[in-house]
Amino acid sequence: MNSDNELAERLRAGDETALREVYDRHGAAVLHLAQRLLGNRADAEDVTQVTFVAAWTGRDGFDPQRGTILGWLLGIARRKTVDRIRAATRDQRTTESVQVQAPAPVVEESPDRVVDRLVVADEMKRLPEEQRRTLELAFFDDLSHPQIAAVTGLPLGTVKSHIRRGMANLRRRWEVDGATTFGSRSTGPSRAL
Amino acid sequence: MQQHLDPDRLVLLALSEEVEEPTEIDHLEHCAGCRHEIQALRDVAEIGAETGAIRDLPAPPEHVWQAIRADVAATRAPVTGLTRHRVRRARPRWLAPVLAAAAAAVIAAAGTVGFDRFADRAPVLARATLAPLETVPPNAGGAVQVFSDGRLRIDVQNLPLTSGFHEVWLLDPDTPGKMVAVGNLPGRAEAVLTVPAGTDLNRYRLVDISDEPHDGDATHSGKSLLRGTLTK
Repeated sequence: MNSDNELAERLRAGDETALREVYDRHGAAVLHLAQRLLGNRADAEDVTQVTFVAAWTGRDGFDPQRGTILGWLLGIARRKTVDRIRAATRDQRTTESVQVQAPAPVVEESPDRVVDRLVVADEMKRLPEEQRRTLELAFFDDLSHPQIAAVTGLPLGTVKSHIRRGMANLRRRWEVDGATTFGSRSTGPSRAL
Repeated sequence: MQQHLDPDRLVLLALSEEVEEPTEIDHLEHCAGCRHEIQALRDVAEIGAETGAIRDLPAPPEHVWQAIRADVAATRAPVTGLTRHRVRRARPRWLAPVLAAAAAAVIAAAGTVGFDRFADRAPVLARATLAPLETVPPNAGGAVQVFSDGRLRIDVQNLPLTSGFHEVWLLDPDTPGKMVAVGNLPGRAEAVLTVPAGTDLNRYRLVDISDEPHDGDATHSGKSLLRGTLTK
């Protein structure tokens, strides 16, 4: 991920235009994660805001050897989401004068899965065009390899090799940045979600 | 037991492109390594198939970026931060309607554009997440930010309809009955109000949204809808 390395270097150097690029590239994914976990747009926007501010102040902590910028941001966003949920629970405890109910659980799917999906979707976008196209036909249109060959006009052997390489790329990325396979992100407070 | 399955073959099997031969089934039964491989590939394919729904996420909102930029600017400049003001009595009741009207004028003039412009320069002093009280639908909620120049930005969602109006208060959670009226909400999700100068946010830290009837009584109706504590 050369572009990641270059962005990370500019971030570390304190270049604010790099933060804007990171926001343009990954802001939607961070907001999506927060909204899935919190179920509420205003909170999700707040978490997105504090995530990017934390990324800025903690930019020295990003290590390109350990994952991509997106994986790092999603890790921060998850921690900020947990903080937000805890703060909301605390607020409700302090309002003793009024009977309050426990915060409604809004998570209808595992946070790990949301992260995995965002990471794999990002990798799909980075694949070489033909690899991406063949995988999309296999995943979204559920076409067999011979059908993909017929639709794209590519030789069957080429389709097979695109699928193989594409799968290998997705898997590698998932193992680097995904939630379930990357130990540090699936332990600790995030489990509370 | 035959040798491990070919990696290319595993991809085809994981995608259900081809069916396992009896010898392969036999091998998979005995070989944890190959089983793990095929499962990992199946997981990847399953997650990959789910990415269709998030292929084209909408661009992240500009006002969130403006807020990030303001916070980043604040980390660079030395910030005055949350200063302790002298404890101040809640203002006389008869003043509240006048000030509420003034606040409404500010909102009308400011709007979203006004907020964005102002977010460029004022650092956030405190923020709160508003959660619904018991009688309120659980999907109601909101968020509050207080900026160093005294403005208070509030977003709310799914507030129950009212025949009166919604009022924003800052309560002192340690002293029942002590509160500051900040203003009423216009009939839309986002508003910018002004916290009276000199208000001690360390004391009046509990944000409260109430349902107020048009009864001419400027005190709190006792009907709270949302609450949340301001934190740094």
